Amino acid sequence: MRAVDRNLGSCPVCHQLVRFPKQRRAQENYALCPRCGSEVTLRKPASLQNTLALVIASILFYVPANLLPMMHVHTFAGIQSDTIMSGVLYFLETGSYLIGFVIFVASIFVPILKMLILLYLVYSVHQGQTTRQKERRRLYLLTEVIGRWSMVDVYVVSIMIALVHFGGLSEIRAGMGALFFLLVVIFTMLAAMAFDPRLIWDTPKEHHA
Amino acid sequence: MSRHLISCHECDELCTLPSVLRPGRYKCPNCGHTLFRHSPGMIEKLYAIHIAALILFLLSNWFPFLTFEVLGNSSEANFTTAVQYLYQEQDYLLAVALLMTTIIVPSIRIVLILLLVAPLHHGRVPRFAPYYLKTIEEITPWGMLDVFLVGVLVSIVKLVKMGSIIPGTSLWAFAALILVLAYGQTIFDPHPLWERIEKAQKEGEAERFAKARG
Repeated sequence: MRAVDRNLGSCPVCHQLVRFPKQRRAQENYALCPRCGSEVTLRKPASLQNTLALVIASILFYVPANLLPMMHVHTFAGIQSDTIMSGVLYFLETGSYLIGFVIFVASIFVPILKMLILLYLVYSVHQGQTTRQKERRRLYLLTEVIGRWSMVDVYVVSIMIALVHFGGLSEIRAGMGALFFLLVVIFTMLAAMAFDPRLIWDTPKEHHA
Repeated sequence: MSRHLISCHECDELCTLPSVLRPGRYKCPNCGHTLFRHSPGMIEKLYAIHIAALILFLLSNWFPFLTFEVLGNSSEANFTTAVQYLYQEQDYLLAVALLMTTIIVPSIRIVLILLLVAPLHHGRVPRFAPYYLKTIEEITPWGMLDVFLVGVLVSIVKLVKMGSIIPGTSLWAFAALILVLAYGQTIFDPHPLWERIEKAQKEGEAERFAKARG
């Protein structure tokens, strides 16, 4: 028995159950939580549209994030620019396989994985798929857990900036890639938050009601 | 609504809770998601842990966390150094993101939990408790201190080949802070807190009602 079947909505903040009127019109109407005052809806409003829009935005940001340099190293010998991939290759060449692997997974693999999972989830809900619900739930949890770890590369760049700052001798500055990469992380996190996992368990005809 | 009903946030299954709770996890029978954790003494533990976290947080912001030396030049970095340089070079968005995720959000979270839990421990429900708890829940995903620690470790490996790296006092405090906060995160469960707040709200209403009737 789902809570919706008894016209009960769950408060997104405090999980208080709120009774909705019988003749609910689709998913648009909302109630106010008596305990914490938040807006309660039966399902997150326009969840699929919002998730899809945010995923598309992050795919667009992902391209310059990988092509543009993350940081510029200014030395008396000139300027050297590093992209994410060149950073990974540098670690692999110098033998730091573990760190190279961590950076590769966190900055290249995880964002792609996250975007693909979210696209698949949106697609499957839109198609009204009613199988593999447990697997899809696990995929959604995965996107929530791993999402923040992509920030590692942004932090590495900023710590390098803070430490390597010797005037004309050598200096590190942030590149445009870091900015776009930050946007990818923020937008994929927002996309994961916009998706409503309860849609996975709903029966198809309710989504379009 | 009856306090023994709860709906799963992952699959919307309506679950009935037993009236007497055993310590441990309660899972959704349909999808297996953790509905909530019942940990007795949670308020006291959170109180202690977040006082420790506050001290460690202040320590790790007070002292430099890394010193980097190359060819006789040395530079120190603490949490705000990177923000300053990014701001100077007009990378405002990066500066703001760094400031929010590593300083503002974690510190607000620690302070709010203390503001909420300390009065509860002494038997009083703070006036703005619902707002505190709401804010805590909303900002939690944006505090990324643990990710920052990994970032620090990666950049140490990166820089070790260019010069010498000296870990500062605050790096140790910071590592301890991550452990303490991680433990706090595993025992933090908003449900009993909300129930305390709800109870206090009802009592307050009853009192006002009694006063109004004289």
